[in-house]
Amino acid sequence: MAGRVIVVTSGKGGVGKTTTVANIGTGLALRHKKVVMIDADIGLRNLDVVMGLENRIIYDLVDVAEKTCRSINKALIKDKRLSNLYLLPAAQTRNKDAISPEQMVAIVDELKEEFDYVLVDCPAGIERGFDNAVAAATEAIVVTTPEVSAVRDADRIIGLLQEKEIYEPVLILNRLRPDMVRKGDMMDVDDINDILAIKLLGIVPDDEEIIISTNKGEPAVLNNQSKAGEAFRNIVRRMEGEEVPFMSVNGEPGIFGRFLKLLNGK
Amino acid sequence: MFVPATRPVHEEQLVFKGLKQGLTLFVPERDTFGHWLEVLERQLNQAKGFFQGGAILVELGERQLTPDELAGLKKVLAQYRIRIKGFNPVLRKKNNPRSEKRPPASTGVLLVKGTVRNGQRLENEGDIVVKGDLNPGGELVATGDIIVLGALRGIAHAGAGGNVKAEIIAFTLAPVQLRIAHIFSRAPEERKGRQGPEIAYIKGEKIVVERL
Ligand SMILES: Nc1ncnc2c1ncn2[C@@H]1O[C@H](COP(=O)(O)OP(=O)(O)O)[C@@H](O)[C@H]1O
Ligand SMILES: [Mg+2]
Repeated sequence: MAGRVIVVTSGKGGVGKTTTVANIGTGLALRHKKVVMIDADIGLRNLDVVMGLENRIIYDLVDVAEKTCRSINKALIKDKRLSNLYLLPAAQTRNKDAISPEQMVAIVDELKEEFDYVLVDCPAGIERGFDNAVAAATEAIVVTTPEVSAVRDADRIIGLLQEKEIYEPVLILNRLRPDMVRKGDMMDVDDINDILAIKLLGIVPDDEEIIISTNKGEPAVLNNQSKAGEAFRNIVRRMEGEEVPFMSVNGEPGIFGRFLKLLNGK
Repeated sequence: MFVPATRPVHEEQLVFKGLKQGLTLFVPERDTFGHWLEVLERQLNQAKGFFQGGAILVELGERQLTPDELAGLKKVLAQYRIRIKGFNPVLRKKNNPRSEKRPPASTGVLLVKGTVRNGQRLENEGDIVVKGDLNPGGELVATGDIIVLGALRGIAHAGAGGNVKAEIIAFTLAPVQLRIAHIFSRAPEERKGRQGPEIAYIKGEKIVVERL
């Protein structure tokens, strides 16, 4: 059976797409799934850095598309820690036009025969880079932060995904700060669901551990002490079909109790 | 005299047009979808070579496809290595609304199933009914009335041809901007506490909002 092809996208930059791909890729691999992560952010690659694999890159996505390297396998970088996790890095010195959606489809079609999961890290924006990243995907994870501008962009992306025949994207709400929500200084999950009305895959708290782990090149999902890591482990379990209650980020069921009903969509 | 219910298949042609968004197949709203699939299959067969491969857009007007119909369409296209990259480019189109006319609506009412999202713009000669929300950044333009069964938070323009009798109705009316015929109104800054369906219409030279 061919693997699942999931694009992680957002519209707005800097909301946590790359962080999400690194963590769910690693999390799925921890569960013995065969996973390949594709960095489709040509010209602004950083999934390799977040994974701590930068120094191992020889070939990249554009080399594969242009057939500069003999096979896809030559360009795949094996993770340092997990032997069933691979990265196909973006080219750094090219731009988004260096590959076409058709080339992307051809590459992914080959990969999905071999892998259980093909995760595509989408660049910000709604132009060519988005078209490339979405072209081969049959599922989408939309990442947003609890800010009006990020939510608006997420809404735009959900509309564009529909046009690409991805009708049921799921949502990750990243960088939530329960203290701010409680004071009424931050949108809460209900506010966001009011606008986006798509199924919630997970809520990831704002956690400085993410910054530390990014700098170390070691995804937070590997760290049992990290709240964000725990959130990503839960997300992975939900992706695998488990029913996992939404965790209470600070031991307060009040706000997070309401997340439960969102599990089944609106 | 005996009159056949449907026109013979061999007389009919589907229209492909090169729109700004890409090559677009127009499927008329009249007749069954199965009928048009037959027409399409014959046409593609005749045009073999010309339509080999690529991605097209499909304009269905108000027609909604069942999953089976969609699968059937994809199957026919796949034989000629054609992929569907999107639907209703004319309806969804954002810019120069009048440059390409879409086929006239059969009923005058455009029924939108689901939410109109940021960046989506729908137009209709007639009324528009949305079974969902109109989100911020989304836009509806109707020559007739606009009815939103959920929350109207985007931009709505009713009576677009100049009809000052047009109305805008929403279950929750929290628009960025309302426009009826030639009259604009911006959203009042603070509308908290107003719940339940409301109606907007022109009174004198102003748009007024009342509980329904
Ligand atoms: N849950 C989080 N808590 C704290 N910092 C985060 C969190 N998620 C992401 N970040 C930080 O935000 C920045 C942008 O994240 P990134 O994943 O690169 O976003 P994108 O790929 O969407 O541009 C990075 O510096 C990252 O470390
Ligand atoms: Mg990124």
